[in-house]
Amino acid sequence: MLTEALEDVSVASSKLTDLPIIHIGMATCGLASGARPLLELIKKEVQKRQLNVRIIPTGCIGMCHNEPLVDVTMPGRYRVSYRNVKAMTLTQIFDSHFTKNEFAKKYATCQIPMEGAEPYEGLILMADMPFFKGQVKIVTKRCGMIDPLSIEDYLSMDGYKALKKVLTSMTPAQVVDEVTKSGLRGRGGGGFPTGLKWGLTQKSPGPEKYVVCNADEGDPGAFMDRSVLEGDPHAVLEGMIIAAFAVGNARQGYIYCRAEYPLAIRHLRKAIDDARAHNFLGENILGTDMSFDIEIKEGAGAYVCGEETALLASLMGERGMPWPKPPFPAQKGVWGKPSVINNVETLGNIGHILLNGGDWYASYGSEKTKGTKTFALTGSVKNSGLIEVPAGTPLREIIFSIGGGMVEKKIPFKAAQLGGPSGGCIPVDGLDTPVDFENVVAAGAIMGSGGIVVMDEAACIVDTAKFFLKFTQDESCGECTPCRVGSKIMLDILTRITEGKGQEGDLDELVRLSMYVKSNSLCGLGGAAPNPVLSTIRYFREEYEAHIRDKRCPGTVCNELIKYVVIEEDCTTCGLCEPVCPSGSVTWEKGEVAHIDLTTCIRCKACVDACKFRAII
Amino acid sequence: MAETKHVEVDLDDIEKICEEFENREGAVVQVLQKVQEKYGYVPAEALELVGDVLEIPKSKMYGVLTFYSQFYQEPRGKFILKVCVGTACHVRGAGLLVDKVREELHIEPGENTEDMLFTLEPVACLGSCALAPMAMVSGTAYGKLSADKMVSLIRQLEEETVHEEETV
Repeated sequence: MLTEALEDVSVASSKLTDLPIIHIGMATCGLASGARPLLELIKKEVQKRQLNVRIIPTGCIGMCHNEPLVDVTMPGRYRVSYRNVKAMTLTQIFDSHFTKNEFAKKYATCQIPMEGAEPYEGLILMADMPFFKGQVKIVTKRCGMIDPLSIEDYLSMDGYKALKKVLTSMTPAQVVDEVTKSGLRGRGGGGFPTGLKWGLTQKSPGPEKYVVCNADEGDPGAFMDRSVLEGDPHAVLEGMIIAAFAVGNARQGYIYCRAEYPLAIRHLRKAIDDARAHNFLGENILGTDMSFDIEIKEGAGAYVCGEETALLASLMGERGMPWPKPPFPAQKGVWGKPSVINNVETLGNIGHILLNGGDWYASYGSEKTKGTKTFALTGSVKNSGLIEVPAGTPLREIIFSIGGGMVEKKIPFKAAQLGGPSGGCIPVDGLDTPVDFENVVAAGAIMGSGGIVVMDEAACIVDTAKFFLKFTQDESCGECTPCRVGSKIMLDILTRITEGKGQEGDLDELVRLSMYVKSNSLCGLGGAAPNPVLSTIRYFREEYEAHIRDKRCPGTVCNELIKYVVIEEDCTTCGLCEPVCPSGSVTWEKGEVAHIDLTTCIRCKACVDACKFRAII
Repeated sequence: MAETKHVEVDLDDIEKICEEFENREGAVVQVLQKVQEKYGYVPAEALELVGDVLEIPKSKMYGVLTFYSQFYQEPRGKFILKVCVGTACHVRGAGLLVDKVREELHIEPGENTEDMLFTLEPVACLGSCALAPMAMVSGTAYGKLSADKMVSLIRQLEEETVHEEETV
């Protein structure tokens, strides 16, 4: 089981010691890339060479495309990072460090400065790599650097310092003021000012209050919260404890985490146990009269539970259906009591803000969106992974500088999808959009929780819109009619279009329905469901029209619309295409141009791949 | 789809699970999760018993059970093939993986193979988009899959089972 993946790993503190340290990235992406067998190999190698080293599993540093990652830190030297490590390279890495006292030039990616240590010559610093250069790491600062299962590691990097500062020298009102000053806004996508939310909960009457962490990261294509929970779970706990203090002595907190993240849940459990043992949780925290504890609630598979009122309903054992606001959770939340609900990333920022001051945090970012934002950069981009940039960084910089451009050099950029099922597509013309709450909305998408899926010219825009609408339609809880029925009718129209049965007037009908669903749905899910459709019609109307009028899919994705033909001028009559066809639809005689029978063709693309002369399209 | 055998449900076990959560009505989702952990699914009998113990009407119990996609009312295979069909996996060909499993094991999404070895379960997003397309089986994540790799994974799991049975 993944949840038990780290059980037999001897966990050692990574505080500076005289021993060499080997870090291995063991978050979900590392494990999926084979980090587990690699760890066994490292252990064997260490045993074989009779080395005295510490092996430390870490969270995600963000370079998912380079996993599995292994770092070697020799005493007194900088930390050297190796990417895509395999059994073969491992031996050479060990030889270089432990026999020759150098680093393995051929496989090293970068080096990370360590305090009071010497750098290696001829190896780029991590901060100078294109992938990291434009990044500012605040909430992901510790991810990949520390052992997430070690509270000592967390403490050695300013952990729980903010909590101590808050409990010993601040009043709840001062904490709220500081958060307000930082300009921090809800990182789950809502963008509601966190300070204001805390202030409202604080002012709500009653002695019983709750703090809830929304870790139900459901947007497909988004994994920012997973990375933080897996890589730095204590930061989220510290944020919650500070929130509990600020809203007026809440005694109980809940973390609502989706069950698809078994490793995150495991790390949280361990973190909660350790925090209790150190009296950061429990009765009379750090000798004060504050008492607070946290319980984890696992989701059971319902996307709508990411919506705060639906989440609360689910938390209380009900069907996860949203309720109309007001009452807001700040007035009536868990068990009808005032509750503050914050997203993982929001809470992860809190400790840094309280420690360094609201003004410091507000010095990053754009005019209306302060601080940094994490993004899960995926799709047809070269460097996919988790990044953190100051709010307002242009989309172009994110995709082409940090992301390294398109994965297939010959296939150009078409669009970037931001904000998942509630977001939209931004085309080439919008690449200079500063990515913050306001500007992305003006461009027709939303910043959302932080998923950026890059699409190239081989992707189909209509298919993408259909994909997202199918998702929201599946996940619609069914409570209100506009969302339940409206999204179904819209999906039917889109499906028809991708099957080549589109009609004139379909686009106008889609826009009309979109506006209706948007303005009449009960919660954010329905209110945002038409966004992927609206934004793509706005920027890619001609691609929809190609599907409807010409029955043609420019991205060659929609199966029913693909018609493979042999271009006579380009065909060399070599016959390579004939034997690869599984349905016998390609006919060819020696010296003759091949022919494809479209009535039996199953659109498997085998002939296109087989043709060396690009004569079949 | 194969005919499925239902398990025997023991009232003591159910009471014990409810007790763990102090028989709180609000913990019903967690109780059902524990029940599912024990039996592999939520048998109809167990649902009724939980309702009796927590004093929740049958209608509401059924409402909760059917609302969440991760509760199952039928037994499931030994290996749940969770094939990710999230955005990143979708644009990198997750559909082909699902098709391959359907073709190879003759099951549709949500169904079990006759020998109760496999269940096909497309899931929305497993959060490892950089390794798309991916799948998860028994908690282990497999990244950068192709239709061929999917087949060899299935073969490997089949072999492991045969091997286990032989040693037992």
